Amino acid sequence: VSADARAVAERRWPDRSVVADRARWLAETFGILAIVGGLLLAFGLTSDYFLDSANIRNIFVQISVIGVAAIGATIVMLAGGLDLSVGSVVLLSEVICADLTATHHLPLGVALLAALGAAGGIGLLNGILVAVIGIEPILATLGTLLVAAGLGKLILGLRYLQVDHPVFNDLAVTNVLFNLPIMVAVMLGLYVVVGLAMRTTPFGRMVYAVGGNRRAARLSGLSLIGVTIAVYTIAGLLSGVAGFLNVAQIGLVSQNDGVGMEFQAIIAALVGGLSVSAGGVGRVERTLLGALIVGMMTNYQTIKGIDPAYQQAFLGGLLVVAVLADRALRGRQ
Amino acid sequence: MRALRRRLFAKNYLDTWFLLIMTGGLLVIFRIAEPDWLNSQTLQSLVAQNAPLALVAMAMTFAIISRHIDLSPGSMIALSGAVIGLVYSSGGSLALALLAGLGTALGAGLLNGFLVAGLGLNAVMVTLAAFIWARGLTIGANEGNPIVVGGGLRDVVNASWGGFTLTAPVVVAAYVCGSLLLSRTKVGRYTYAIGGDPTAARRAGINTALYTTLIFLLMGTMIGISAIVTVGQLGSAQASAGVGLELDAIIAVVIGGTRLSGGEGNVGRTALGVVFLSILNSGLLNLGLTDAYFQLYRGLALLAVLSVQIILRRATDEEERRKREQEQLSAAVAAA
Repeated sequence: VSADARAVAERRWPDRSVVADRARWLAETFGILAIVGGLLLAFGLTSDYFLDSANIRNIFVQISVIGVAAIGATIVMLAGGLDLSVGSVVLLSEVICADLTATHHLPLGVALLAALGAAGGIGLLNGILVAVIGIEPILATLGTLLVAAGLGKLILGLRYLQVDHPVFNDLAVTNVLFNLPIMVAVMLGLYVVVGLAMRTTPFGRMVYAVGGNRRAARLSGLSLIGVTIAVYTIAGLLSGVAGFLNVAQIGLVSQNDGVGMEFQAIIAALVGGLSVSAGGVGRVERTLLGALIVGMMTNYQTIKGIDPAYQQAFLGGLLVVAVLADRALRGRQ
Repeated sequence: MRALRRRLFAKNYLDTWFLLIMTGGLLVIFRIAEPDWLNSQTLQSLVAQNAPLALVAMAMTFAIISRHIDLSPGSMIALSGAVIGLVYSSGGSLALALLAGLGTALGAGLLNGFLVAGLGLNAVMVTLAAFIWARGLTIGANEGNPIVVGGGLRDVVNASWGGFTLTAPVVVAAYVCGSLLLSRTKVGRYTYAIGGDPTAARRAGINTALYTTLIFLLMGTMIGISAIVTVGQLGSAQASAGVGLELDAIIAVVIGGTRLSGGEGNVGRTALGVVFLSILNSGLLNLGLTDAYFQLYRGLALLAVLSVQIILRRATDEEERRKREQEQLSAAVAAA
């Protein structure tokens, strides 16, 4: 009897956990989609302008810069890290790009490559400081935040750089998907590429493995150093691309560009359901939904004439709610 | 005496010695670059300007030893300052205003403590949220404009005795109390225990939620005092008060030699970190650099110090591990 009971128990346990896992997956993915739908409905019913196609286009344009930066923040946090240098790298990328095209009249391709090189370089430095030297991510990326911001401001000086290159204009103005401009398509494309890469490639599985259980990942032969450096470098490159999109959106580069973007990127990832209580849990594509939720709320508050300062306070509250929901749904690690 | 000497020159103080040497090096460099910089007035203004950093870093030491962290102090100093300003400007007495400011800081500490210790949320994210919402509320409170606070607060905070203002004894008292609290009391022992192994601490019967909340309340107290000092020094509450202070405080703690992994460290080391950081900031500012060079040099200096310290620590750890293995081996041989 006891052998039978054990067999039954052994058979039932995995079944139950599989059901629980599926239920959780459904709850997480559709839960966030349901929140997006609920907000659309609520905001649409209470504002005449919110569901206007021009406004929907606005929301997507407004989230595209943070959306791209948040992809990097997501994979860094999935691997158990943190990147505070995002905003500074955005500034550095913008400045290099604008300075080379507007001041030195170099071709755009050269400028973009140089900006990406610098952004990737800061990311690489983050990776080396964290993985090889062993400085905690929060301190290492704070150091590179200062270095990148310093370099950016050094090149920029006390100028404002006006950028009126036709390509940047096209990014923000020319519509490709319905009425969405190229920059939104770039963001969506990056989500598709990185989302698929995280799901289907060995690299994606390595990132999840490193974030989920560092020790197990090392013992099974993964190169922690290699994965960590790759993750931070990719995040740096994505921040560089976010910089291009920001230039396209604003058309102007100034000293304070990018300030605080690292926090907005982290918030988008967490609102999208990235877990901080259980490592290595989260999906890149859900970060897009997180960015969309934040973008819709900000847009709605702006329509309703709420002071940006209180919008910021509300954003902080939203972050607490996201962390609470994560804790309630997934429990302590 | 010999025991003391052995302790001071022990291998695990290598990183502290390196910090001291770097501090001396900075003094020499800044002195050469700007001969007028280092005089008795510099020292006095260093203490006055960096008092909030010193106070917050003291409490941050407790937070980091217990394996938590608090990213909210900078924003909370501004929010508490704004509350002082609002209560005072709406006709309240100065005493009432200061109490309200202190109450705000303690309330915020209690809230953070409840979310982290009571509900088990991640301290980085909870306090990051507070960093964001508190700054938002502060800017919203008076549309970003300063709020003048009179009532003689400015005279009291800036009154000087032999060049030193009231902030000097306050900082010294905070460090003495903090050091005693950490090394001589149950709160201190439990702080180390919670950071060393939270699960073990809970199983050993320590009320970890209570003591974690106390640590956040200690931070709230230091934030409240810092807010009063900040408002008093300028005679007004500024919406931009304390920007970046939390990260400076964390750097001071870590550079001092307390590790973010928790369970070890002390307040005295943090004092050294605060001294280093104050000299670095003040010296760089004194060179009249643009914002760009200031940030660049600061970033490079911090990364360099952190890197060398970590390499020194790793060497010490490695040596200790080898010694321990050697001892185990010889013990095994002796047993055989």
